[in-house]
Amino acid sequence: MLAGASSALGATTVNMVLWPGPEGDAMQKVVDAWNKEQGAEQGVRVKMILLSRDNTFSRETTEIGAKSSNIDIYFVASYNLNFYQAGLEPIGTIGVDESNYFKSAIDSLKIGGKLYALPLDVSNHFLYYRKDLIARLLSDDAWKSKYRDITKTVLGAARDPKDPSEWDADDYLATAAFFSKSANPDSPTQYGTALQLKTLVFNITHWDDLLWGLGGNWLGPDGKANLTSSAAKKAMNIYSTIYKNKWTSPDSAQAEFSETNSALESGNAAFALQWSAAYAELTSPELAPRIADKIAVAPIPGNPHSTHVHALAIALNKYAKNKDAAEMWMKYLATPQGMDAYAKAGGIPSMPKVLSDNVHLNAAFAPIIDDVGKYGYSPPLFSGTFDAMTQMIEALNPGWVGITPIDDALADANQKLQAQLDKMK
Amino acid sequence: MIRKAVDNPAVDSICHIPTGARRRSVPKGWARWVLSAPLLLFLTVFAVLPVFYGLWISLTDQSVLRSDINFIGLANYAAVLTDKAFWSALWFTVWYTVVTTALVLVTGFVLAVLANRRFPGKRGLFTFLLLPIMIAPALMGLMFRLALNGDTGLIPGLLRHFGLDVSLFDPHAVTTLLVVLEVLQWTPFTFLIIYSGLQALPAELFEAASIDGATKLQAIRYITLPLMGPTLFAAGFLRAVDALRTFDVIYVLTGGGPGTITTSLSIYVYKMAFISGSFGVAQAAAVLILLIMIPLAPIIIGRVVAQPWSKK
Repeated sequence: MLAGASSALGATTVNMVLWPGPEGDAMQKVVDAWNKEQGAEQGVRVKMILLSRDNTFSRETTEIGAKSSNIDIYFVASYNLNFYQAGLEPIGTIGVDESNYFKSAIDSLKIGGKLYALPLDVSNHFLYYRKDLIARLLSDDAWKSKYRDITKTVLGAARDPKDPSEWDADDYLATAAFFSKSANPDSPTQYGTALQLKTLVFNITHWDDLLWGLGGNWLGPDGKANLTSSAAKKAMNIYSTIYKNKWTSPDSAQAEFSETNSALESGNAAFALQWSAAYAELTSPELAPRIADKIAVAPIPGNPHSTHVHALAIALNKYAKNKDAAEMWMKYLATPQGMDAYAKAGGIPSMPKVLSDNVHLNAAFAPIIDDVGKYGYSPPLFSGTFDAMTQMIEALNPGWVGITPIDDALADANQKLQAQLDKMK
Repeated sequence: MIRKAVDNPAVDSICHIPTGARRRSVPKGWARWVLSAPLLLFLTVFAVLPVFYGLWISLTDQSVLRSDINFIGLANYAAVLTDKAFWSALWFTVWYTVVTTALVLVTGFVLAVLANRRFPGKRGLFTFLLLPIMIAPALMGLMFRLALNGDTGLIPGLLRHFGLDVSLFDPHAVTTLLVVLEVLQWTPFTFLIIYSGLQALPAELFEAASIDGATKLQAIRYITLPLMGPTLFAAGFLRAVDALRTFDVIYVLTGGGPGTITTSLSIYVYKMAFISGSFGVAQAAAVLILLIMIPLAPIIIGRVVAQPWSKK
């Protein structure tokens, strides 16, 4: 069924997997236009295969493990590209102009200097905050005084409130306390922030932002696991302090993307670290009527500000039956025109120029260009990155929510990361 | 039951089956193999071969990370047996199975006994009671993820309305929550089986007990429960098998966390295969689970299947 087949008109059908949601919806529009126009002229028809968002990668793992030719183009991401490398073909022949892309995005899709996937969307984090509340904090003397009292308790020294674009990890922690009823009964919000703590692989990336912003990294200069560093301990301490003191909802132990949006939209949280993909929903008067006009974004708190960046991408199946046709389609998607169509359809292309040309369509494009370019980092990429992320969150999460002492959680995560690194030798 | 009926001369005479015809109807020699061939072929292709293929994979290093496959003996089994996460998943799965099976049997039995009488609105109540089993477990998980959302969910909102500020997703409450959801979804299943069993009990026994002065509780204790034993065992067996394989609800709601405390064996195998990409290790874990379960099979089959035949 999935195998490529020729239509009655002689066009070659290229089977391409994407995942449903904003990316799949946007790509479907580009595919439809291609099939009607350019694809029809060139004899290449693209068929989109949308699997469930949770199971896209599971299905691809099975296909690649079986060396199947059912699918011509796989959907991949920076963090699992190395994992799938054995089943992928480098795409050097397509002639991608790398200068069109964010460097962090294109670099994250290279293995051994060879480009293995074509970037589609770029994904990063912002600090989403309530600008009405922060404006009052920065101007109201009573609030400022209370803030200084709270920072003295939380940080051991009084601090003045700052604009979120200048926050470091301590400002983030102290402001979370200030806007929580458990620390400040007069707070207009129930909780200062909304952490995403569910044992879900992607949730480690927000914690990584704090770690990187404190000068840390998964790895030390010697290339060995370094999750017992002082930066890691501080990042861990920030998460566990916020959770323990109810500066985030106790339910955030099982929270992910949508729960964080709910916390902000309901007015229960004053700010949160969240994916750039949430911008459209949080600023939509229809979807978030309570806060749409009150939400602003700032770089992730830290010194330096640091945001996880990964690219969602497409890659060529090494065992594909229709490689030539697939390459023609990918070649089109590698052009600014192809990505412009994708941006207009709702995607977030990894091309800064395309984003800046389309800022009028999506206001998030401007901060994405700024933050990804200035503050973007990619976690260490190796064939076990995805597995390591899964194992690390399984180890760190009990420390975040107070089930395990934070030193034990860090030691466990460190040992698991090192075991993954050792496997690569 | 069928064999018993056919062997009975009284049944033969009622049904007018000549003895010779009955004998001719039993296929002999190659004929029984021909007639069984479709089933045997089906079992071979869809059950026997996959099991042997799985056994072979469990002895190899097959992984999504490599294109070649090498025989590595029992290394995968050693890896699984020395993995703390496997034992943790095994313990959680056994605990979850025992607790949820016991609870769905008790609640199903109580509801069935209460419903085993005439009362107005019985049809409507039955429809309402049976709704949860018509919902796919993954969808059930998603529904409750929304309904229990502390910020926008219906249930926390109602609880707060009554002055109860409870965090249902708190790490210390989440296993209880999973058990409650399992009971909520599958009690209708046991209720249905047990209710059907109750309908088949002879009313005379209860009338006699009532005349002898037995209370309702005594009737349940001394008549209903002993007679319902096989039915309860069958219902418990079916639920236990399903609970052992639980994946959807837990994966949707907790992802196996916090940490790994709600990781079931199914989730463990899934992560090994599709996140670690270690098909060999995942397959070894699956085989080990099978080996752990096999000793239970004769006991269960003895109770569920053999009992009716033993009355010959």
